[in-house]
Amino acid sequence: MRSQFVLSEIWIGLRRNLTMTMALIVVVAISLSLLGTGLLFVKQVDRTRTYWQGKVELSVYLCIKSSPQPQCQHNGPATDTERAQLRQQLQSMPQVQAVYYVSQQQAWQEFRQYFSNEPALVQDTSEGDIPDSFEVKLRNPEADYNSVASAVTGAAGVETVVDEMTILDKFYRLLDGARNAVVIVALILIVAAVLLVGNTIRLSAFNRRRETAIMRLVGASNFYIQLPFLLEGTIAGLIGWVIAAGLLVAVKSLMLDSLGQYFSFNVGLSVGDLVDVIATSMAVALVLCGVTSFLTLRRYLRI
Amino acid sequence: MISFDNVTKVYPNQSRPALENVSISIPKGEFVFLVGPSGSGKSTFLRLVLKEERPSDGRIQVAGRDLARLTNWKVPYLRRRIGCVFQDFRLLPNKNVYGNVAFALEVIGKHRRFIRKVVPEVIDLVGLEGKHDRMPDELSGGEQQRVAVARAFVNRPMILLADEPTGNIDPATSIGVMKVLDRINRTGTTVVMATHDAAIVDSMRKRVIELEFGKVVRDQSRGVYGQAY
Repeated sequence: MRSQFVLSEIWIGLRRNLTMTMALIVVVAISLSLLGTGLLFVKQVDRTRTYWQGKVELSVYLCIKSSPQPQCQHNGPATDTERAQLRQQLQSMPQVQAVYYVSQQQAWQEFRQYFSNEPALVQDTSEGDIPDSFEVKLRNPEADYNSVASAVTGAAGVETVVDEMTILDKFYRLLDGARNAVVIVALILIVAAVLLVGNTIRLSAFNRRRETAIMRLVGASNFYIQLPFLLEGTIAGLIGWVIAAGLLVAVKSLMLDSLGQYFSFNVGLSVGDLVDVIATSMAVALVLCGVTSFLTLRRYLRI
Repeated sequence: MISFDNVTKVYPNQSRPALENVSISIPKGEFVFLVGPSGSGKSTFLRLVLKEERPSDGRIQVAGRDLARLTNWKVPYLRRRIGCVFQDFRLLPNKNVYGNVAFALEVIGKHRRFIRKVVPEVIDLVGLEGKHDRMPDELSGGEQQRVAVARAFVNRPMILLADEPTGNIDPATSIGVMKVLDRINRTGTTVVMATHDAAIVDSMRKRVIELEFGKVVRDQSRGVYGQAY
């Protein structure tokens, strides 16, 4: 095997086919970066979901003086006995993993922190206006939410039961939608890339039909005849992948990281996640270009 | 070296066979002319030797190997032992004389040092010394054909197949090419040459196999082209 000869053949092939090769590189780069973006979104959604699932799923707010709900109006604010009973009830349920009590004072502090940039709102609110609550962590949030929620809804001293997941669902739906759109576009582009690889190789085989005819005649092995074409497609694919890797780094640092600023929790993706996605897209690039080149060659390069 | 045993070749979608019950045996080191009108099966014969086509029936042996039992991936190794020359030269227009001859060795993975040693020898053998750097379009037809012969012979094949090698060049130049082929034959290489050129066949006085409508109609040692043409 003379690598120098093979390399010069590849160079000739890529140069003769310059426009086609460039089109191929661009399409591979874009399709891979979209696919990678989709994968980053998937990871981001997963990360956010696990973060929230590690937190509270159910908040049971208790009645206070200013509660507008009729049962609170009727019974007045929750008493210490009711609090104790409620805690007892929640803790005795098998679906419940943990129960935390957030006092009015703590709730008030959290409130002030969340709305620190709206001093007027904080000014108009005093400590007693924010209800205390039981934050409940469920063992299996998706399955057990309804049973736990209905058990405590309407219990003495309970103002409202809030499913934290429903609030997040909107956010998830947004992310899921964005991810699906990106992945669909990526898949369409990958189909385009496959066709382009096929076409590029076919053109290349046609351009070098004299050479390959002579190679066959003097007894070059099939491997030797096909290798320059295979590598040609693969190298174009890898150049596309390098560009895509750059774009993915940009997507992560510009889009996803700035998205994280809007949330008060840290669910940003690590460098490891990024490397993971980039490695996956390299595998896709190799399979895409290598396999397509190989299949095209079998059709257009009669041995 | 080459033996055909009752070989018949029918191309798809054709009723008349291109070769019909052909039995030929060509021993090592022989020089054979394959003559006959166009369509008589000469090219099919050469293609069968190269295993570019498979026979519809019969057995072909080349260089001691039964072609039917030769697996596809081994075919290139068979072709390394067979050199080929064509009427249209088939040189690479973007490579010079040296490059064209060296190409045959490069693509079978020979070392550069070996190529540097062998290629000039062969270029000298075909009488093109001093023309290493010429491009094909700077050469006459006869010279181009010599380059093609050099390329076919550079790997020292056991068999040289020539399909009307003088078909595109004038008679005076043809004699030069024939001398090169004769010289190659004298090194022990079996040469099979398909031709229409009566003058050459008559002057060489070698074995002549005549095909007509895919059948062997004459097989003569030290023969002539024949009166019919």
